[in-house]
Amino acid sequence: MTRRRRGSGALYKASGATLASLGVGEKAIVEWIVAGPGAARRLADMGLTPGTEVKIVRRGPLGGPIQVEVRGTSLALGYGLASKVLVRRERVRGVDS
Amino acid sequence: MTAKRRLTIALAGNANVGKSVIFNQLTGLDQVVGNWPGKTVERAEGTLHYRGYTIKVLDLPGTYSLSAYSMEEVVAREYIAVEKPDVVVDVVDASALERNLYLTLQLLELETPLVVDLNQVDFAAKKGVQIDAEKLSKILGVPVVPTVAISGKGVDKLLDAVVDVAEGRVKLKRLKVRYSHKLEEKIQQLKKMLEERLPQLCSKYPSRWIAVKLLENDSDIQEKVREAGGSEIVASAGILAAELQEIYGEPAPILIASERYGLAGSIAREVTKFIHPPRLTLEERLDAITTHRLLGYPILAAVAASMFAAIFLGGALLAAPLESLFDDLLIPAVDSALSGLLPSPIVYLICQGVISGVGAGVTIALPYIIPFYIILSLLEDSGYLPRAAFLMDNLMHKVGLHGKAFIPIILGYGCSVPACIGCRIMETDRERFLAGLVVVLMPCAARTVVILGLVGKYVGLHAALALYAFDLLLAFAIGRAAFKVLPGEPVGLIMEMPPYRRPMLRNVLVKTWSRTRDFVYMAFPLIVAGSMVLEALRVTGLIWPLVGLMAPITTGWLGLPATCGFPLIFGVLRKELTLILLIQLAAPMKLDAFLTPVQMVVFSLVTMIYIPCISTIAALAHEYGWRRAILVTLLDIATAILLGGVAARLLPLIIR
Repeated sequence: MTRRRRGSGALYKASGATLASLGVGEKAIVEWIVAGPGAARRLADMGLTPGTEVKIVRRGPLGGPIQVEVRGTSLALGYGLASKVLVRRERVRGVDS
Repeated sequence: MTAKRRLTIALAGNANVGKSVIFNQLTGLDQVVGNWPGKTVERAEGTLHYRGYTIKVLDLPGTYSLSAYSMEEVVAREYIAVEKPDVVVDVVDASALERNLYLTLQLLELETPLVVDLNQVDFAAKKGVQIDAEKLSKILGVPVVPTVAISGKGVDKLLDAVVDVAEGRVKLKRLKVRYSHKLEEKIQQLKKMLEERLPQLCSKYPSRWIAVKLLENDSDIQEKVREAGGSEIVASAGILAAELQEIYGEPAPILIASERYGLAGSIAREVTKFIHPPRLTLEERLDAITTHRLLGYPILAAVAASMFAAIFLGGALLAAPLESLFDDLLIPAVDSALSGLLPSPIVYLICQGVISGVGAGVTIALPYIIPFYIILSLLEDSGYLPRAAFLMDNLMHKVGLHGKAFIPIILGYGCSVPACIGCRIMETDRERFLAGLVVVLMPCAARTVVILGLVGKYVGLHAALALYAFDLLLAFAIGRAAFKVLPGEPVGLIMEMPPYRRPMLRNVLVKTWSRTRDFVYMAFPLIVAGSMVLEALRVTGLIWPLVGLMAPITTGWLGLPATCGFPLIFGVLRKELTLILLIQLAAPMKLDAFLTPVQMVVFSLVTMIYIPCISTIAALAHEYGWRRAILVTLLDIATAILLGGVAARLLPLIIR
């Protein structure tokens, strides 16, 4: 999944979902990262670039980190950081998002 | 035999790919561990002999990329670009090929002679993945050698490939990393500018690489280009990057990372075959349990407790015989051997200064450091560390740190020295230093002895516990304050959760051995020098004028008897000494006749905070450099004096 959305960032705000708001097992496509340049770059280096498919593996307790599967590896992101990754939910067969 | 031929190779690769295992397979015990000059980044170097070559192997820090994000990445790329090793071996995890190829592509862009070590092919097979190494080699245009680091399988072939590349016998067409049309245009534009105006810089780094880095807004490279007199090129790069953002709707650095990952992904897909679906393995079940929102915590507590027990019970077990070796055997023996030959003050200095100093190092530091390093290596190699960090992240955020800092903080309850060294697991320099500030204030075993032995015994347990709690609050308050003050962008937790692996004993022991040796070289001279100076002051009696000089603080501000300066000075060697010397000072009086309860609390409070002991100062210097070690020391002394004085004024209102 390496499709890239082209155009302005305005569209992305509409969906409102972030990595932190997804449930365990849900899949989504990374749309936009609103973090500072350092963190955004770091996330991109770890494989979280716009257009990438991610899957929520587990959520840490009490607003803890979010563990996601991305490009065949597992990453844990602090809650604050995860809520800066805007995503579009993927339609799962038989389930409307 | 022909004249010795020499080669230098560097191991690069992501973290958690078995790079250090490959390194140990290559070099065995013949290695030196230290720090990169001026950096808190571990540098391991070793040598081996192969096919008539003496090969120097350098283990570069594990990185996911070669940006300027962390010290590790800057260290790695500077070494490759500037020192130009004969061959770079890129250790790649076959079970996570896409992410690993992202780094491989960057190494190709650095135009360094390259061999790809396709490691953990056994683990990939377990996950149902098979990689076509030959095809990968053809696509990348560099040799690709499958290995299983744990068993050493394929390591010989890897060395063959290295020698082949070094001798220029590999005829493959290297992959040229190319970007989409518009992006490529800007790269070419910048490349031309760089080659025309800064030919010197371009002989050091590949010009195309500099161009890409400038578009990536890489602060380190921008600085280098400016220094070389290319400020206007940096400015043009900024404009070009802005144009790219206009066209693609994404910041240029993200765009470049995106395209690189696109290429890595398509290569990975081309060479990967899924032979069977991955099975739910024991490791995955272990993973689920150890990160479970309820079960995870008791497991974490048990791991922390057993770690603690192993380090401090093991340490105590080792310390006792070592201590009696020094105190009962070595010192009396040297004393009686020398006493006829040399004047007695000198004999005293040798025995109490040098030998006791070495003794302090051997009996206090080593027994705790060796088990600590073993446990740290086990935690590192097994993959438990990220799980613990995962569980503790939320809590640690409250004090301005994140999950990983939990480990050094726990260690701080035993001894500040391993705690300080344990701060290495933090990623950025900023976080490492923040954690260091907090852990040196944790109530270590020696401080606990003073608190319990003085305040607990004579004032009451409640007062001792209150002191303990206060110390914790203070440590976290200082952490929070430093979090606000220290420059740099605070980055939240971004951490790979590698699969669980069985740690390899050999690897653990080799790591422990090299790290311990490194610490001994660093800390022992300081410990010996410190104890010699103090003993010399004592023998010559110069200590008393010094204590007199301190009187305005000890008596005037802290309200303690002036002689208390003496135990406080010696407490620098080891904190429990303050209590022992205090008892000697008070004799024949009981302590409760010598000090009032308020004075006891103040004395303990100051002892708790005022200075990390000399071994800790050594560890701080080792980890953060002298400047920051002295800074922390001064900060702690100032805090101790300030709080001690305030306590001396407030406490009489509470305690009779």
